[in-house]
Amino acid sequence: MDSEDDMHDANDVDSLDDFYSGDTGMASDDGDGDYEFIDNDTDDSDDSTSHRQQQNYTILNEEDIRQRQEEDITKISTVLSIPRVSASILLRHYNWSVSKVHDAWFADEEKVRKAVGLLERPIVQIPNIKELTCGICFEAYPRDRMYAAACGHPFCGTCWTGYVSTAINDGPGCLMLRCPDPSCGAAVGQDMINILSCEEDKQKYSRYLLRSYIEDNRKTKWCPAPGCDFAVDFVVGSASYDVSCNCTHSFCWNCTEEAHRPVDCSTVAKWILKNSAESENMNWILANSKPCPKCKRPIEKNQGCMHITCTPPCKFEFCWLCLGAWSDHGERTGGFYACNRYETAKQEGAYDETEKRREMAKNSLERYTHYYERWATNQSSRQKAVTDLQQMQNVHIEKLSDKQCQPESQLKFITEAWLQIIECRRVLKWTYAYGYYLPEHEHAKRQFFEYLQGRAESGLERLHQCAEKELQVYLNAEGPSKDFNDFRTKLAGLTRGRCLVLHL
Amino acid sequence: MAGATQASLLLQKQLKDLTRSPVDGFSAGLVDDSNIFEWSVTIIGPPDTLYDGGYFNAVMTFPANYPNSPPSVKFISEMWHPNVYPDGRVCISILHAPGEDPNGYELASERWTPVHTVESIVLSIISMLSSPNDESPANIEAAKEWRERRDEFKKKVSRIVRRSQEIF
Repeated sequence: MDSEDDMHDANDVDSLDDFYSGDTGMASDDGDGDYEFIDNDTDDSDDSTSHRQQQNYTILNEEDIRQRQEEDITKISTVLSIPRVSASILLRHYNWSVSKVHDAWFADEEKVRKAVGLLERPIVQIPNIKELTCGICFEAYPRDRMYAAACGHPFCGTCWTGYVSTAINDGPGCLMLRCPDPSCGAAVGQDMINILSCEEDKQKYSRYLLRSYIEDNRKTKWCPAPGCDFAVDFVVGSASYDVSCNCTHSFCWNCTEEAHRPVDCSTVAKWILKNSAESENMNWILANSKPCPKCKRPIEKNQGCMHITCTPPCKFEFCWLCLGAWSDHGERTGGFYACNRYETAKQEGAYDETEKRREMAKNSLERYTHYYERWATNQSSRQKAVTDLQQMQNVHIEKLSDKQCQPESQLKFITEAWLQIIECRRVLKWTYAYGYYLPEHEHAKRQFFEYLQGRAESGLERLHQCAEKELQVYLNAEGPSKDFNDFRTKLAGLTRGRCLVLHL
Repeated sequence: MAGATQASLLLQKQLKDLTRSPVDGFSAGLVDDSNIFEWSVTIIGPPDTLYDGGYFNAVMTFPANYPNSPPSVKFISEMWHPNVYPDGRVCISILHAPGEDPNGYELASERWTPVHTVESIVLSIISMLSSPNDESPANIEAAKEWRERRDEFKKKVSRIVRRSQEIF
C-alpha cells in the first residue's frame, strides 16, 4: 500500500472514531464540510492525480509493441552476432525474454542452436548441376527455382508455398516452422516466409509474431475489452493489480476481470459464478413455488384464491395454504377461502421442515437479491455514465463553450467529473459483492463498512446529480450565466471530494 | 499447380512409379480408378514378426491439399494392434498434421511433413507392425494384452493372420 492509501486510511480511522463516539458534528461533516475541506486543499488533490499517473504499468499500442519487439531483436542480434531472423526465432523460443536467451546461449550455445533449429552451416550441399529434383513433388526444376532453409534441403517454390501456407493457416504454430525434411530440424524464419508467401499469409504471419510478443511474454497481456488493440506491460510484483487501458476499460491484471478494487480476485470469481449459477434459480423455485402434493411438479401461485387445481393430467385439487386435499375443506375448516388450519399450525409454532427450508431459502434469496440489485444498478449506472461522457465530449462541451463563452480548456472539470463518476460507480458496485460476503457475525466491521458505503453512495449521488442535472441549466441557457463559475467550483469540489476512501 | 490439381498430379505420379517398380512388402492401387484420392494397399505382414505371412488390406484417403496435409489410413482387414483403433484407423505420429502440436513438443521428424509419400507411409506402418508403441495406444485392450498377456496377444494375432490368408 502506498502513502496515499495510508493517508486515506488515517482519515478512515478518524471517521470511524466519529462514528462510534456518536459525535453529532458528524452530520455536517457528511455535508458541505466535506467539500470545503477538500476545496481548500488543492495541493493535496493535485498530488493524488500525479500519484495516479505514476503507474506500475504501461499501455502499448501496436506501434509501441512493434518497436519494443524490434529493439529486443536488435539487442539479441547484436550481442550474439546472429542475423535478426535468427534472433527473432530464438527470442520466441524463450518467450521473448532477452535475459533468458542470454543465459541459455552463453551456457551452451550448441545445445540452444540444436533445440531451436539454428544451423551454423548447411547439412547438405546443393550439387552444382543445372536441374534439381524437389523432395516433395519429385519434379525437376532449374536451380534458381529451388529454395532451402539454412540446412540446404531443396524444394521447389510451389511446394514451399503450399507448406508455408498450410502452416500459417493452421495457427501460431507457424512461428516454429521447420524444414519439411523429416530428419532435419532447421528453423524456417520470417525471411523465407516473406519470399515464399502471398501477401495475405505474410500479414497473418507478422500478426502472429506480434501477438506472440504479447501473449508468450509473462509481463504483457492484451486488454480484455472487446475490440481493443492495446496491450499492457505490467511491472510484476506491484502492489495494485488495477490497470486502466487507454480504451477506458479498467481491469485487474491478475484475473483480467474488470477492475474490482476493493474486492479481491477470489471474491470476484465467487460473485460472478454466483450470478450465473443455476443455484439461484433453484432457490427461487424453492422460495416461490410449492410442489403439487400429488404429482410434485412445482407450482407458482401469483394471484387468486387458495383453491388450486393442478394442470392436467394430474388435476389434483388442493389448498395452497395447507397443501391438503380440497375435498377436506368446508365449513368445519373455516370456510372454503380461509383455511385456518394453517394459521393454527403457525401459531402453535408447528412449522414443518419444508416450510422452514422454504423460509430460509427465501431469506437467503432476498439477501442476495438486495446486493445483486445494487451491484447491477451501479453497473448500469456506470455504463450510462460512460455513454454520457462520450456525448459530453463529442457534443456538449463545444455547445457549452459557445453558450457560456468559455474556452474548452476551461471546461475540463466537466470531463474530470464524469471520469470520477465512472470510477466511483465501479468501486461502489464492487462494494456490494464485498458486502455480500462479509460475515454476518462481524458486526463492527459490517457496521463500519455500511457506514462508509453509505457515505460513498450519498457523495457520489450528489456528484452525479450535479454533473447530470445541474449542468443542464447551463447547457440550455440562452447566454452566459452569472453563476457558472460557482457551478465550476462546486462540481470540481465534488469531483475531488469523491476520491473514494474505501480501502478495505 | 495448385490445390487439388497439385495433389492429384503428385498422387498419379506416385501411382505410376509404384506400378512400374513395386516396393517389397506391399502392393498399392486405387479403390476406384476414377478417384485418385482413395488408395487400396495390401500390406504383407513383415517376416519374423507376429504378423508374418498375413495379407492386410487398408484404405488410404488423401485430402485435397495433399501433400500439405496427411492422408488417413484405415485397415479394412481385421487387425489387433496397440496402435490401431478398434475400427481399423491407424494412429502413428507421422500421420498427425503439424498443426495438432502447436507447441512443437513432438520432434519435427515425428510429425507429418509434405515429404512423405505413399511408400514412406506404408513403410512406417510396416515398421509399426514389427514394433508396437504401447506408450500412447489407440487400442487400449490390445496394448494391455501386449504388455501383460503376451501369449494371448500372440494367439489373437495368429488367428487374424490365418483369417487374412483365407480371404486372400
